[in-house]
Amino acid sequence: MELQSTLQAIQDTRVATMIRESGLAFPTLESLHVLGIALVFGTIAIVDLRLLGYASHRRSAHRLIKELLPFTWIAFAVCVATGLLMFISNAITYAENSFFWWKMGALLLAGLNMGVFHLGVYRRIDEWDVSLPPPSGARAAGVGSLALWTLVIFLGRWIGFS
Amino acid sequence: MSSQSLIAWLYGSPVSTTIRDVLWIVPTVQSVHIMAIAVIFGSAVISDLRLAGVLATDEPLDVVVRRYFPWMRNALIVLLVTGLIMTAGEPDRVLNNTTFWLKMALVVSVFSLTWLVRRPLLRHTADTRSFASDYRIKPLAWLSILLWCVVIFCGRWIAYTI
Repeated sequence: MELQSTLQAIQDTRVATMIRESGLAFPTLESLHVLGIALVFGTIAIVDLRLLGYASHRRSAHRLIKELLPFTWIAFAVCVATGLLMFISNAITYAENSFFWWKMGALLLAGLNMGVFHLGVYRRIDEWDVSLPPPSGARAAGVGSLALWTLVIFLGRWIGFS
Repeated sequence: MSSQSLIAWLYGSPVSTTIRDVLWIVPTVQSVHIMAIAVIFGSAVISDLRLAGVLATDEPLDVVVRRYFPWMRNALIVLLVTGLIMTAGEPDRVLNNTTFWLKMALVVSVFSLTWLVRRPLLRHTADTRSFASDYRIKPLAWLSILLWCVVIFCGRWIAYTI
């Protein structure tokens, strides 16, 4: 009940009401969300494939990661901002949608996978920076990341169909 | 046969009915479509930014372009196939939609542009240094990125326009 009234209050805010009632706001947010996803998944996939041992446009894994990570983070911020605005416009409906929560769970796992990589094998990247194939820890992180982000995209698309 | 009766025939065909009736087909095909958008857009952004002279400028132009072009071409094939399945499921709504045809015209334009700009590098016919000094390359690279963004917006807007 407490949660329900909070969600109701969220979708009664002026911003949420405006998004819900304007014909342009929601498709614009969706388009920006897809644009962000394309850049998040596109840049992450390039790094993941390098972690799996597929040569990229440069040999150094460390420099590749440093070069692409700013794109990933900016695009991810766009996805979070647009996702949040879509959520508040229909907070109660989204909160009742099980695919929405599965997607949040998959995002959390993708974040954990990245955290494990950064605290683990990434700390020793100077040792395997230019070696192919990369160590098993890096390859595991690459496979995990590709699988989890694919899951995020599928679950995200399914939210609209349930 | 007029185009409207062709659309009606397509709508009534077993393939079209199956796409509409089997609930998992459309969300799955759309998810694959988004994955392919990520591959084509990610590859476009990285290689066009290299062409524009703002990313990975220490790596040879032709190496970067040749690394990403096959991914763009293969992603385009996946996009056409998944797009065709979505169109077959709702030919009435898609083929009568102005935004859809605008999107198709933009896809043809931006992919032709992508290919024409990269062709000398892909065929090894260009001296990379003289190619890079061509004053048209940089603005065309930025134009490509912009056009891909418009394509993504049009894609989402098909669902909201007539």
